[in-house]
Amino acid sequence: MISSLYQGGREELAQALADKARWPLLTREELQEQAKQYGIRVGRLEVSMIKRPPYSEKLAREKKLYLAFLTSALCRKALEGNLVYSGRAGHLLLPGVNNRLRVGLTAPLDIRIQRTAKSLDILPEQAESYLMQLDEDIAKWIHHIHHAPGQDPNQYDVFFNLENTTVPNAAEILHNIAQLPEYQATAASTRMLKNLYLGAEAELRLITDEKTRALDLKVQAENQVVTVTYPPHNEKISAAIPEVLADLEGCREIQCTMAETNILWVQERFSAESENFQQVVHLAQRWGAAVELMRLISPEDSVADVNDIDEQSAYTFGRRECPLEDDGGVEDDDPEAAVNDGGLGAAMEELINQGRCGGGHTVCGGYDKILERVRGDDDYALVVVGDMFLSKGQSTRTRRTRELAMSIRDRLKAPVITAEELKSRFLFGKSQALSFLGYTVILCLIYAAAFMNQDAILTFLSGPIHQHTKWLAPLVIVLFVPFIAYLYGSVTGLALKLINID
Amino acid sequence: MHPLITYIDINLYTALQVVLLGFIGGILSGFIGSGGAFFMTPGMMNLGVDGVISVASNITHKFGKAMVGSRKHAAAGNVDKKLAAYMLITAVIGIQIAVGINSHLFKGGGGGHGAGGSAGANLYISLVFATILSAVAISMLRDVLNSRGNGEEDGGPSMKIAEFFSKLNLPPVIYFNVADTKISLWVLMAGGISTGYLAGTIGVGGFIGVPAMIYVFGVPTAVATGTELFLALFMGAYGAISYAYQGFVDIRLTMLLYLGSLIGIHLGVYGVKVVNERYIRIVTSLIILLCVFSRIIAIPVYLRQLGFIQYLPQYDRYFNMGSKFFLFASGISGAMVILLKVVSAYRQRRKIQKTLLVIKKPNEPMAGMERAA
Repeated sequence: MISSLYQGGREELAQALADKARWPLLTREELQEQAKQYGIRVGRLEVSMIKRPPYSEKLAREKKLYLAFLTSALCRKALEGNLVYSGRAGHLLLPGVNNRLRVGLTAPLDIRIQRTAKSLDILPEQAESYLMQLDEDIAKWIHHIHHAPGQDPNQYDVFFNLENTTVPNAAEILHNIAQLPEYQATAASTRMLKNLYLGAEAELRLITDEKTRALDLKVQAENQVVTVTYPPHNEKISAAIPEVLADLEGCREIQCTMAETNILWVQERFSAESENFQQVVHLAQRWGAAVELMRLISPEDSVADVNDIDEQSAYTFGRRECPLEDDGGVEDDDPEAAVNDGGLGAAMEELINQGRCGGGHTVCGGYDKILERVRGDDDYALVVVGDMFLSKGQSTRTRRTRELAMSIRDRLKAPVITAEELKSRFLFGKSQALSFLGYTVILCLIYAAAFMNQDAILTFLSGPIHQHTKWLAPLVIVLFVPFIAYLYGSVTGLALKLINID
Repeated sequence: MHPLITYIDINLYTALQVVLLGFIGGILSGFIGSGGAFFMTPGMMNLGVDGVISVASNITHKFGKAMVGSRKHAAAGNVDKKLAAYMLITAVIGIQIAVGINSHLFKGGGGGHGAGGSAGANLYISLVFATILSAVAISMLRDVLNSRGNGEEDGGPSMKIAEFFSKLNLPPVIYFNVADTKISLWVLMAGGISTGYLAGTIGVGGFIGVPAMIYVFGVPTAVATGTELFLALFMGAYGAISYAYQGFVDIRLTMLLYLGSLIGIHLGVYGVKVVNERYIRIVTSLIILLCVFSRIIAIPVYLRQLGFIQYLPQYDRYFNMGSKFFLFASGISGAMVILLKVVSAYRQRRKIQKTLLVIKKPNEPMAGMERAA
């Protein structure tokens, strides 16, 4: 997946690599052409995105359609074998597929200007201003479509500056890197590609079909199961979902959940009997939310503490083999696979019974992998980080879970909490009942005292005392008012929580 | 006590009316995303509270409420503190201008006839109120109607003004990380001063602050609302201190407003989650227009008190009654519509606990079952 700005050398490098490796080449331009033929108004979408559009359902649908088309086309090709892709932001496509080699490319500005001037037959000064504007527009496009910064080094596996490296040499290096074991297809990466392909195909069908095109959907696929969530106002047309997806190849089960919002629950192992499960489901039922389960397996478990770093892990910074049980590609009705999925399947089954299933998937890595998976689709009402780092001691587990939650919180717009905070902040238990009673009593006393001494208060606020010490009334007000607001705000919040309106 | 300040007597009946004002204002505030002052300020004036005391008590109420609300928005990542800081510095100038004008008009007197010294300030507040809110409501309605005419399915805000200002590129231009937008300092200053001035004059800074951030600065709606609330915390504190220093804050009114508003705001916010954006905009603009109409009906009373027009003083009560009727009609009908939506959504939630499971088996028709319906 080779990415660069305009005239940054990606076409040449992609072609050189494809020739050398004898792999098929797919370019952004080809996909754009196919997308246009499919009926997607790519030009209009580009203009809308560059102009910093306000959120609108129509634009969001167009964007979803475009991304689903791109994902489907790329996955289809990638499932056939090795592939070279070149585009503006190819490194951001196919999130979660671990064997893709993400290559960034830059070239000196003066060379880009020369090439642009020659290509468009314009003066170098015009070419420079054209490039500046184009770079800015591309950054906006990447930001709005992929919710990511333009050329962030953290997003690439390899980054070339073509100032000192020739294109054939860069192709040679890339060809060698691509032979490394880390970039070979595994059962896990193939399964991820299949999941992405199935999800994209399902989304394409639902967005383009007359019967379901008005639906506001969230679609994902895992292990041949397609999960669709839709809001209550789409209830009437939602009956068409199974019909539209009826003959979708590779789909063995469809789960459709009506939900006002989504809760993402990240945890290492799930159990339908656990207290966390009961609490999350209780909250989901109150909010009318679908619960999306994300099983997070942390391959960096062994580098949790500096003292733990062994000789082998000192050379490995996250890209190590995920300890996910390999099913050898056998996915259908394999009871063994169901046992080894960290309780994900059983938890999803229980969520289906509760009517709150928002799908589930497994991610291997740290917070960056969670973000990569939910990027551009982070419309969660809440993200709950549950029990993680189970192999560690209690204090390490608590600390690292809290750190993980903080890392996600800084990068996601949704509120992120740990399972420990869930009860205190969103559920009504004994401590909340005690707070409710305590605050209510204090408030009653304050209000009674205030309204039994109205004259004294008014005299204090603008009477003789005020005339002599004018700063006293503002001082008391600035301290007293937030106190009352906090107390009464807590009481009303708890009362509404008690009757399930929040 | 200040010779011109007259606090109203608060008995149980008056107290309940103020609580009701707070409750309706809270619902509208939670639903619309403004402070609800457009309803509460004239509502208190209709109960006989002087305009300046209404504004002062309401801005004090807004200060505490913003503190509670901005914490929630900050947790959701909707607050651009850098933008709020720039806006605050300029808004303070605006508030100071507003407090100065209000105070000057109040002390300048208004000709008696039961108006105390406040007729001038009341007239001024009413005129600013009617002008600004008419413009906001009409542009909001036009936006919704235009979007329907264009075949758009939802009335998202137009970005034409933001695009125009971003093209002006008047240096220095500042980048705001959370809002993800670049704004010229000069445009920012104009927006901040206007917001502060309106917050200080009629207590409805959010009505200009939020649209200014969305339409002029190009800030996303959620960030605009969160930042405005964060800003309102400091502007409210500054306004409350300024008015309290002059002895205009009636803390009893503030406390009674809280009793209603903090429940109402939760219900209003719940309503936003269950009603579509287009409906919210239509309801909002109609409520505001009715409030404006209510205030316009009260203007002849102040004009007569100031001697600009002549009629028998006993007719004042008809103007006041008409004004009160339209204000409460707008607030109560708006709140009722929102409450109905809230109740129906609450009941509907009980019914939506369902997942449709369709299992495809080879050579068999699909087997579907609905769980937990």
